[in-house]
Amino acid sequence: MSSTSGLLIAYLSTGFAIGFGHCIGMCGPLVVSLTLSLNGRPLLVPQLLYHGGRTLTYMVLGGLMAATGSFTMVAAHITVLQKGALFLTGGMIVCMGLAMTGWVPLGKIFGLNYSPGGLIAKKIAHLSQSATTAAYFPIGLLLGLLPCGPVYTALLGAARAGMEAPHIGAGIVAGMALMAAFGLGTIPALFLVAKLVDLGWLKARAKIYQLGALVMIGVGIYFIVAAWRY
Amino acid sequence: MHGKLLAVDLLKVVLFGLLMLLFGTGWIPADRAFAADKYRVLINCDLHQGDCQQTLGGHKVILMVTPRPVTAMTDLTFRVTFEGAPAMDKPPYIDLGMPGMNMGKNQVQLKSIGNGVYQGRGVIVRCKSGRRTWRASVTCPGIGTTDFIFDVVY
Repeated sequence: MSSTSGLLIAYLSTGFAIGFGHCIGMCGPLVVSLTLSLNGRPLLVPQLLYHGGRTLTYMVLGGLMAATGSFTMVAAHITVLQKGALFLTGGMIVCMGLAMTGWVPLGKIFGLNYSPGGLIAKKIAHLSQSATTAAYFPIGLLLGLLPCGPVYTALLGAARAGMEAPHIGAGIVAGMALMAAFGLGTIPALFLVAKLVDLGWLKARAKIYQLGALVMIGVGIYFIVAAWRY
Repeated sequence: MHGKLLAVDLLKVVLFGLLMLLFGTGWIPADRAFAADKYRVLINCDLHQGDCQQTLGGHKVILMVTPRPVTAMTDLTFRVTFEGAPAMDKPPYIDLGMPGMNMGKNQVQLKSIGNGVYQGRGVIVRCKSGRRTWRASVTCPGIGTTDFIFDVVY
């Protein structure tokens, strides 16, 4: 086995272990919020889009770290973006939660619980729902920027790979590949969380669902506070 | 009419968000998150003030981290001195992590600079939880591992 493939497997397994040992606790509420906001719609595609977006952001960051060979330099430059991502994520989750409570008609904005009459209106609603599903990809891209200790640790390795590569191109490829492996490794744990939330017995209980909406609002506020303090 | 209603509702949402933000930031001031870190009791060294010492296999192990104060997300130099330890076949290394939290493998490789002194560069990353208690586990191949637990500035 070459050292590169060995490293990739190491990053994949690290991502897997971190997923269960860290991400479930730190990002679990976020995944719960995203799953609840689906309001019973199929889980697989939105989740894949979300994780795909998140992993792509990790890859871009890995490429940047490897290209510069400096973790601290890139990290210092993306702090403002991360703070913004925390704020935006918090605001978005609060809005999703409010939409679910039904207190305000945000469902129309997010394409949730919207049942228009008429063929054309239904087609538009269908397109809106598809667009809502597609939105999980940019959400993933954004959330990949969230400050996260284990992601930083993985990025340290990407920067090191860039320093040790024979030329910058090879370094960028190595950095991106390592972060892709790490991101993919974290998916099973978070997908399991989403699947548990998506259980039919939970959805069948409107009150628990309303409680979920309140949890989402709480999670959103937590992210906004975290952004404030970061 | 519909547009006006939507605007009023959006205004409500913005006001609600602002109120939550106001209360939220009041509920959890930055220093309270640190105070709530139950792992602070494990702290056995103040690297902001100077060197720290531990004993490993009957030998004194001294850790120094610069620049001070020890700040996360900056390039740090780790220097380990082994007093009275025999020459090692393999160089020692440091694993950086947080007590009670899996932060991934963050290892500082040390190189000998003579007289039982080893040095390497590394970064302590920042945890979104706000917890600032970190652990540097110094491993001496063939002898063992000793832990330095300390506070980091964010």
